[in-house]
Amino acid sequence: MFVARSIAADHRDLIHDVSYDFHGRRMATCSSDQSVKVWDKSDDGEWHCTASWKTHSGSVWRVTWAHPEFGQVLASCSFDRTAAVWEEIVGESNDKQRGLSHWIKRTTLVDSRTSVTDVKFAPKHMGLMLTTCSADGVVRIYEAPDVMNLSQWSLQHEISCKLSCSCISWNPSSSRAHPPMFAVGSDDNVTYTGKVQIFEYNENTRKYAKAETLMTVTDPVHDVSFAPNLGRSFHVLAIATKDVRIFKLVPLRRETTTTSGPTKFEVQVMAQFDNHNSQVWRVSWNITSTLLASSGDDGCVRLWKANYMDNWKCTGILRGDGTPVNGTSGQAGAANTTGPSGTLASQAAAGGAVSAGRPKAQLMPG
Amino acid sequence: MLLSGSQDGFMKCFDLRKKESVSTFSGQSESVRDVQFSMKDYFTFAASFENGNVQLWDIRRPDRYERMFTAHTGPVFCCDWHPDDRGWLATGGRDKMVKVWDMTTNRAKEVYCVQTIASVARVKWRPERKYHLATCSMMVDHNIYVWDVRRPYIPFATFEEHKDVTTGIVWRHQHDPQVLLSGSKDSTLYQHAFKDASRPVDRANPEGLCFGLLGDLAFAAKESLMGGEAGRKPGYPGGDRRYPIFFFKKPDVTEQFAQVSSVLSVFEAPAAGGGGGGGGGGVGAGSRMDWFVDTARLYLLSGKPFADLCDHNAKVAKQLNRPQVSTTWTMLRIMFSEPANISSSTNHLMSKLGTLPPLLNSFSMKELSSGLNERNKESRQDNIHSLETNINNNDVENEETEGSEGQAEYVFGDAELDDDDLYSMEHDNQTEEPEYTLPQEAFPLRHEIMEQPSAPELLEKAESPHVSGSEAESICLTSSESISLISVSQLLFPPHLPPTFFGPVVKEMLAYYAEQGDVQMAVSVLIVLGDRIRKDIDELTQEHWYMSYIDLLQRFELWNVSNEVIKLSTCPAIGCLNQTSTTLHINCSNCKRPMNNRGWICDRCRQCASVCAVCHHVVRGLFVWCQGCGHGGHLEHMGSWLRDNTHCPTGCGHLCEYT
Repeated sequence: MFVARSIAADHRDLIHDVSYDFHGRRMATCSSDQSVKVWDKSDDGEWHCTASWKTHSGSVWRVTWAHPEFGQVLASCSFDRTAAVWEEIVGESNDKQRGLSHWIKRTTLVDSRTSVTDVKFAPKHMGLMLTTCSADGVVRIYEAPDVMNLSQWSLQHEISCKLSCSCISWNPSSSRAHPPMFAVGSDDNVTYTGKVQIFEYNENTRKYAKAETLMTVTDPVHDVSFAPNLGRSFHVLAIATKDVRIFKLVPLRRETTTTSGPTKFEVQVMAQFDNHNSQVWRVSWNITSTLLASSGDDGCVRLWKANYMDNWKCTGILRGDGTPVNGTSGQAGAANTTGPSGTLASQAAAGGAVSAGRPKAQLMPG
Repeated sequence: MLLSGSQDGFMKCFDLRKKESVSTFSGQSESVRDVQFSMKDYFTFAASFENGNVQLWDIRRPDRYERMFTAHTGPVFCCDWHPDDRGWLATGGRDKMVKVWDMTTNRAKEVYCVQTIASVARVKWRPERKYHLATCSMMVDHNIYVWDVRRPYIPFATFEEHKDVTTGIVWRHQHDPQVLLSGSKDSTLYQHAFKDASRPVDRANPEGLCFGLLGDLAFAAKESLMGGEAGRKPGYPGGDRRYPIFFFKKPDVTEQFAQVSSVLSVFEAPAAGGGGGGGGGGVGAGSRMDWFVDTARLYLLSGKPFADLCDHNAKVAKQLNRPQVSTTWTMLRIMFSEPANISSSTNHLMSKLGTLPPLLNSFSMKELSSGLNERNKESRQDNIHSLETNINNNDVENEETEGSEGQAEYVFGDAELDDDDLYSMEHDNQTEEPEYTLPQEAFPLRHEIMEQPSAPELLEKAESPHVSGSEAESICLTSSESISLISVSQLLFPPHLPPTFFGPVVKEMLAYYAEQGDVQMAVSVLIVLGDRIRKDIDELTQEHWYMSYIDLLQRFELWNVSNEVIKLSTCPAIGCLNQTSTTLHINCSNCKRPMNNRGWICDRCRQCASVCAVCHHVVRGLFVWCQGCGHGGHLEHMGSWLRDNTHCPTGCGHLCEYT
């Protein structure tokens, strides 16, 4: 079982995001209190806050780390309609001794006219690129042409998603067979459309074009996350909406290399779980993409794992304050999940692309 | 009475009964931005100024202000007295702040401060709501925000109708908190009903969750979500079941906006997680990543004969409790070994199989089998099954075989057993019931059959969906006296079978490992097998695997392993990873001149540049040196020297610093 270690975060309002760095030694939190805190893990496993500073003049929605090759760099985005890039300054030795570090703002990206809801660095092999998405439905991709100069970012792409965006996730695959691709989720609750869109870079037009819309996801989406692609030929995408969903995107082989259109995907639902019984806010993959964690309004973290048959099952439930959930995780999880996962597995096996608006009841156990 | 403030710095009070101003107040500073009569005190008014000051005046005393304080940096655009005569004054300025001042004390005290995202043009307290106020901005931002001053970071509500700057806001009625009027430069006037307002906090994410590298999980969530309501049923009407129903006063959910905070915790996977990367385990076991690090460290990828590498890696995998990986290594060794080694290696396999821990379930059997020809493996698994189930498998074919075979002591798994059956068996095993243990005595080592002429035939047949029982029989019968399971395994690897035969199978297996998230295995096998398999897998896939694995290794800060992988890789794209942006400039440590020839002898001072300063021997391998004086030597020598000394060991007097 997991050991819960509680940390006195001392944020004065809600924490909206936590993010580990590349090596898992540092953690950043951001909060509505307009500040970001950086935590370092000491050798004894304790987390110490080494920096805390006011980043924005509004709620900070997300914080994310850049690849360490570019230095110790954070990006944050906020309700105040900006995204910012921060870099840690090493030097001042007396700061170090006190266990504090100094972060300075390298740039503020002010292009959005509404709240910036998510910010993500693109995979490292694409260079130093930053993507933001905002409540007015625009995804912006910035690039720092000189990786040594973090104060210069040029706006490379502006992609309109038509729907208010809430989250974005890059496909981490570094294979040359996979063009750059990202998924955008929308928390729009007015229109009845697919809320997850997938955009792909087209080498010929040098633009991002929509490759796919997941039409089955019609409820507001709070988080999307591509699984780390460790040499896979297909992509796995987890979605947090009113339930947890796992999609598999299998790129279909192109007949000829000259076709300029975006890659076609065969979309399969691998799993769908409503065990949270409420809105799901976050999904996160472990590093080998064998384990998915989700958290929902029930205040619990649930862990999902696939067996060798690609049946996803709940392998654990963690209460946020570390108290165990009544009844063993195995019982609760297994009892609730076997139904839907079994059904879905058979459907996935049948290879049918999922049709839009499939009635939910069909998937419920019992 | 009407009060006005002007850009000239004066305020005038008009009595509507007269045609001229009653009195003039001189602020004696820059222009006046706002004037407001106090609700509490009829004679008092507040004036806000361009320079950031707020003045309090008594209307009966025009010569001098009662008090003055600096409220903002930059102009104070507006001020508003709290309607419930609490002596609270709200001010808004260009510094994007709204501040609430308690004016009842001697010195004006800042009690709340709200940071908005644009300069504040108007501020108006909301009627009947003690802590709420509405603001609008004069540029950039067209929205109207209603704030709860106790929670100064997120607007309680926003009205987003205006398309241009909002110029004025006012609450419709003194005692009605629900209706707000606003005018804007987009030449519209809106009457907002409060229920139409959007609530940013509803869309705000109350939770953060992130998987760490080592399988630990950071989780931050709203405190209230952690409480007893975790088990709450969906759709339960707002409220708490803990209280009896007659105490239940339905709170106005829409107006609840108290201060909230989050709980941050890190779930750490237990250190002794069993390392079951492939086998799986409890909640924590599968998430802990130690196995990856250990495997990466301990695997040998080069420097030994192929068979030894495989053996070593199999041992490593076994130690780390990953039987299926271990078995795969063993099988690879058998498949690709030189024909001369065949018999011994087969024996080896069998003893391995025999000693496999009881953990070995059909899952790993399946894995294992993916390394083999599908059909062969199935038949073998049948064997195992039939052995396990004490030959009471109700398969008719089985019994036939048994009968006809006569001498055979062990029943063959019949090649004809249905796929479906087989898989259903696997399913059964999967459901975590105690696995069948393989009785060791089921694998007695009979003497081997070295030549089996009909083996290729079997293999060919194996490709076809059905191998008839008689064929299998005939093979069995041709092989001498007592045929055991082992001899069957032997049949599968006749010495004259070229290793290339296994290419497609191994390729499939590697792809399987990669798709299961174990790219480590894929790359390790790729490297160890080298040319034996390389041509079977397309370049792009190989490159992808290498890249993924190297990225993982670097995440875990396994730089040496990562470097080894880069070195051993055959993809040109990977090989050049180490060459990019690396230039070495070498200076002689004695005479400080650049070294221009190859080798380590400086041609100016005729000395070897890479001499350890401690032991005076030439350093091979890691040479560490001080960036300041350029002297250095063996890593361990320098380390031990610097434990006791701070000066350079050469005696150059430099205070060496190593970071």
